[in-house]
Amino acid sequence: MYEIGISNPGLQILYAYLNDATPAAAERAYCPWPDMAALMRAYDVPLWTLETIDPVAGCDLWGFTLPHELTYTNVLEMLDLAGVPIHAAERGEGQPIVLGGGPAVADPWPLAPFFEAFFMGEVEHRLDEIVEALAAPSRALRLQALAAVPGMWLPGVSERPAQRQVFTAFSRTPPVLRPVVPVLEAVHDRAIVEVMRGCTAGCRFCQAGMWYRPVRERPVDLVVEAAERLLAETGCDEVSLLSLSSCDYSGIEEALTRIRALRPGVRVSLPSLRIDSAAEALGGFAADQRGSVTLAPEAGTQELRDAINKGVDDAQFEEAVRATFGGGFTGLKLYFMIGLPGETDADVAGIARMAATAVRLAKEIGRGRARLSVAVSSYVPKAHTPFQLEPFAGAAVLRHRQQLLRDAMPRHVRINFHDVAASLVEATLARGGPGSDRLVEEAWRRGARFDGWSEHFHFATWEGAAAATGIELGAAELRSDETLPWESAVDAVVTRGFLADEQARASRGELTDDCRDGSCAACGVCGSGVEMDVLP
Amino acid sequence: MTWWLLTFSRGGPASYLSHLDTARAVQRTFARAGVPIALSQGMRPKPRLSLPLPLPVGAAGYEELAVVEVPDGPPSPAAALRELRAAAPPGLRPLAIVVVGDQHPRPQALEARYACRLEGDAGAVRAAVERYATEVSVVRERVSPKGRRTLDLKEYVVHVAAEPVLGGTRLSFAIRYRDDGAARPQEFIDLIAAWAEVEPVMRGLERRRVIWRDLPPGPSPGAGRSVSS
Repeated sequence: MYEIGISNPGLQILYAYLNDATPAAAERAYCPWPDMAALMRAYDVPLWTLETIDPVAGCDLWGFTLPHELTYTNVLEMLDLAGVPIHAAERGEGQPIVLGGGPAVADPWPLAPFFEAFFMGEVEHRLDEIVEALAAPSRALRLQALAAVPGMWLPGVSERPAQRQVFTAFSRTPPVLRPVVPVLEAVHDRAIVEVMRGCTAGCRFCQAGMWYRPVRERPVDLVVEAAERLLAETGCDEVSLLSLSSCDYSGIEEALTRIRALRPGVRVSLPSLRIDSAAEALGGFAADQRGSVTLAPEAGTQELRDAINKGVDDAQFEEAVRATFGGGFTGLKLYFMIGLPGETDADVAGIARMAATAVRLAKEIGRGRARLSVAVSSYVPKAHTPFQLEPFAGAAVLRHRQQLLRDAMPRHVRINFHDVAASLVEATLARGGPGSDRLVEEAWRRGARFDGWSEHFHFATWEGAAAATGIELGAAELRSDETLPWESAVDAVVTRGFLADEQARASRGELTDDCRDGSCAACGVCGSGVEMDVLP
Repeated sequence: MTWWLLTFSRGGPASYLSHLDTARAVQRTFARAGVPIALSQGMRPKPRLSLPLPLPVGAAGYEELAVVEVPDGPPSPAAALRELRAAAPPGLRPLAIVVVGDQHPRPQALEARYACRLEGDAGAVRAAVERYATEVSVVRERVSPKGRRTLDLKEYVVHVAAEPVLGGTRLSFAIRYRDDGAARPQEFIDLIAAWAEVEPVMRGLERRRVIWRDLPPGPSPGAGRSVSS
């Protein structure tokens, strides 16, 4: 799926660095849609790279970006389409070394037998070493050299967990200035400037918030220069200032002002808005950009928002909604999760009450032109988060709460739910231990592909695979006094003690301050050359 | 305001672009070249650029047309063409720019010449082409999300010829564009393939030439204040 893959900014970083700064030639291949895959098999055409139309199987190294669990079967699909044995143990000299990276390697076990190695964390500063390792004269020596690269974990070979790597030079390194520009419409069809990496808001459900610590910000001059260059190089008329929480970027106002002044018609988008600062941020948008706004309260009551450390109150929510409709925006999308630890039916009813507040304000201020929608996803506990030991809510509870919401939601509000069955599979894989790979392989052999796409997700396939492998979907029996499966593969640097403390604070409904405000929560990340790096 | 008629070729990897993606690629070529395009009025201004005759996905075009409005004080067409060529993506090549006044009628396609290669029995394809020539009417039904429509291919598809080539037949034909629409190249190719009982798999569909109404005279297209390769 080129339209989605080309939008991945991580891939653009790897592609640019490998081709511009190392002796390696990096080429791209994306997972073909099932109709194309069927034709490739029918005509015996192996997966090829887009640049040279060479078979992927001929590459020295095949890197996969793993964004989330429901893409796992696509990895096997691509290996098979390329004619590469899906199990690393069956691959030999002349076949690629398969390397995994990206946020989903936070628990690599469900994919462990299919990869020679996984890289944990941010790889920019380790690419030279990886390329150098590939120069070794044999496959065994290449693997041996790769194993010595910090952050690398080789299933069955590495004796210790790999330490998650942090790109400490982020702030003084320019973003990608000559990205691959798609000639067809990508899902994110705009120039991208990553302004900040990491987030210290400390939302307890958020894996990215833990995985990409600490916060590092790029200077505004670097951001504006990059935006100017990218507009010229790509021909785009829109720049996205990318980060996990762009409203938290210290230079956001100056950057917005200066980029808009670069030339007439330039639009700037922020991928996420924080409710407590949305009113200010929304005021800065140009008139022609006032379409739809997404706000993420995440939970329906103050108690639950405090428990997840979201720390947004009803007054801030109302102010953000008023700013949305009062500022001429015509659409508002509210994003919530259900199935959070400690959640009750009353918390779910709170979601409907917040939607009703938004409806009332839309009528008062938006004068009937405003559209309101609510997206509700099912919470899936993830590794390396304060909720990593919490149970998945389960399909029955989630369906019950979805129905509660349907019944309580005001009329004229469009509501979208995540498929509970897909969340069940995601929950199984997100904390899978050794052996969970059997589920992935069996599901793929039974036809599972593109499981993140509702039209291709077939729960019966996964049920059959679970029955065949004896793996219970959704179950994760984890104990705080044991080594967790992912802890044997990756040291995320955020300490187990901090996560346990945060879990305890969640149960007491206590907030933890953002550490950029000066109060260190002792998560364990800073130190040994890794520090928060924010603008003065 | 000034209107430019830009002719360009589309081939190679760009052949697989959709109509909208081709228009976007041309627009971004202007942006990268630093050649401004006038914007429409209103809340959400859009570049005033259109491609009057969509080219099917998978087809190459030898001489495609883009109609572009440029703001006052545009660069010279010669300089713009140079910059556009440098900024164009693989498969798109700007060929010529003709400057027309804003009162000039927008060009309308009258006829387009196509060619492709059909694999299979060349004799059977030739017989199908001969049969098409003798038929008075060939009515086909088109089903689309908008509903069903019947059209007589004989009213739209003319100048049909088949020439044997290695491994198949080179099929050439012209499609006439009328006020009530036009046939699609694939509809005619499917017809010939069905009559010839060969797979409707064609290779290298090309639009070789388009005849336009209200196009200024000159080289590819237009003379007067034009620049071409």
